[in-house]
Amino acid sequence: MPARVIETQNLTKIFEKKAKTEGGGLRRLYKRIRPKKEQIVAVDHINFYINEGELFGLLGPNGAGKTTTIKLLCTLLIPDEGTAIVNGFDVVKRPEEVQKCIGVVTGGERGLYWRLTGRENLWFFSQLYNVPEKVAKERIDKLLKLVELEERADEQVEKYSRGMKQRLHVVRGLVNDPPILLLDEPTLGLDPASARVIRDFIKEELQAKQKKTILHTTHYMEEADQLCDRIAIIDYGKIIALDTPENLKKMIQKTDIVEIKVSNLRQEDEEKIGAIEGVKKSVVAFTDATVGEATIKIHAEKAEEIIPLTTEFLIKSGARILMLEQTKPTLEDVFISLTGRKLRD
Amino acid sequence: MNITKDWRTFKAVFLRNLKLYTSYRAWIIATVIWPLPLLAVNIYQYMAFGTAADVSDTLKPYGGIGMIVVGTVVYLLYNRLLWGTGVSIQSERWMGTIEVLFLTPTNKMIVLIASGLSSLIEASWWIFSIFFLGWAIFGVQPSITSWPAVFTCVISTMAALLSVGVFFAGFFVLTRAADQLASGLQAPIRFFSGVAFPVSALPQMLQCISYLIPVTYGISALRKCVLLSGDFGSIALDIAPLWFMTMIFLIVGQITLRIVERQTKKKGTLYLF
Repeated sequence: MPARVIETQNLTKIFEKKAKTEGGGLRRLYKRIRPKKEQIVAVDHINFYINEGELFGLLGPNGAGKTTTIKLLCTLLIPDEGTAIVNGFDVVKRPEEVQKCIGVVTGGERGLYWRLTGRENLWFFSQLYNVPEKVAKERIDKLLKLVELEERADEQVEKYSRGMKQRLHVVRGLVNDPPILLLDEPTLGLDPASARVIRDFIKEELQAKQKKTILHTTHYMEEADQLCDRIAIIDYGKIIALDTPENLKKMIQKTDIVEIKVSNLRQEDEEKIGAIEGVKKSVVAFTDATVGEATIKIHAEKAEEIIPLTTEFLIKSGARILMLEQTKPTLEDVFISLTGRKLRD
Repeated sequence: MNITKDWRTFKAVFLRNLKLYTSYRAWIIATVIWPLPLLAVNIYQYMAFGTAADVSDTLKPYGGIGMIVVGTVVYLLYNRLLWGTGVSIQSERWMGTIEVLFLTPTNKMIVLIASGLSSLIEASWWIFSIFFLGWAIFGVQPSITSWPAVFTCVISTMAALLSVGVFFAGFFVLTRAADQLASGLQAPIRFFSGVAFPVSALPQMLQCISYLIPVTYGISALRKCVLLSGDFGSIALDIAPLWFMTMIFLIVGQITLRIVERQTKKKGTLYLF
């Protein structure tokens, strides 16, 4: 039985947020000085474990609690309830031990010194992880080569493209050669080619060759499907499903999925589509609301029954059907069937 | 405590700061120019009134201009160390690197001290240029009999000012207003510590505040050593409170920093500006 490297039990994080100020005059001023606080449960009693060498995905829309979960596991946040054990250490009681055995990669522009070169950035962080100078130098050369940055290694990071910065982020998380990697949306905002480079690196180099245990958060369902051994779908801070990608998709095997691309669709028709007989779930995503351009996803027991009814409704309402097809279930369909919303809503 | 680990952290932070500093040419220019008018303003203010002897008996022993030179040097040291040490963690926030820094298993006190000491590279230029200007343009003649006493004064003052930075670092991270707080402290510190006049010229009540500020003791000790041929005996009453304050500020600063780190991790405000 493989060892559990990360394990959470009822892990919970609650944030306080200032409530909106209403009213006017002195009352408004008083409320601004002493605002009421409202609580937001960012992570709500989540339980999961990750086995050694596993690539585990946390899939959910923006604001679902993915980053908060990573921050709790890497000791940047202290939980309000529950526990998390990383490599045998409690994240609250032994934060320094946890920090030594993890590498954290975040997406975006932050987390690097832009006025230092790529090599200087890696050297700086290697020293904070107490890596001996000689080992650090060899490791940095190797890492830069792995992500094909060796030729630009001595240029300031501010001159790097977004994709290059992201590759540097990934290897920054590896300077201490940690057995565990926490990757928070590592392909966020990258062009498809750069994202593919990062994905291949994670799967082929980090998991297959280096046998790292990886927690990977994303809101790209294709990425989770392609990379992860198991996936937890998270929404409003709660894990609503957890299994292998295949098993998750099997959950909706008995559901037919129809995707229709239309123009001239009115926003008020969204509810009416959901009310069509035989439709179990429907989601309308407007790509250009001004011209009514949208993609409709319909879950039904039998596609052949709802297709005529839906097309008839759409034509009557003045919409123009651009494309209609029956598709295979994806992780997004799993999310729709569980929440009634699209992942990117 | 792991000395090798702390040394690696110290060296990394020190060298990083040096590289960041030299990567901005404007910073270097500002460092060269900034202290010079500050000294000149204070000196010409006095010269407008006449000689030190004409102004007041309290100024006589110091010879006026020398007093201002020493006061300005210590004040600049305070300023540099407050920014270098106290604001260093907050500036990680501005650079977007505070989270990755807090992810590393480092001793944050070492990060603060290394940041503070690296800022002395700038400060050393300021000290040199102010003493040089004081001597070359305004004719200040130092009167030193004990170099060890001068050395002790400088080290004690720097240690105390570094500890002030450590003390404020936690508050700066907590309030997320390092810029405003550090700037807000400048004028009161300059006034109460007697940068351009002896503290004895202040009303008794205000002097009580002055003696709560380490800068006051640093200025007083250095003036005695550099201008009045002071030895260890004459500076003992300035150095003792300096060391006492250093201990207190370091201990309270370390505790505050731990509390603040926990608070920000609890509230989730670590990365917020």
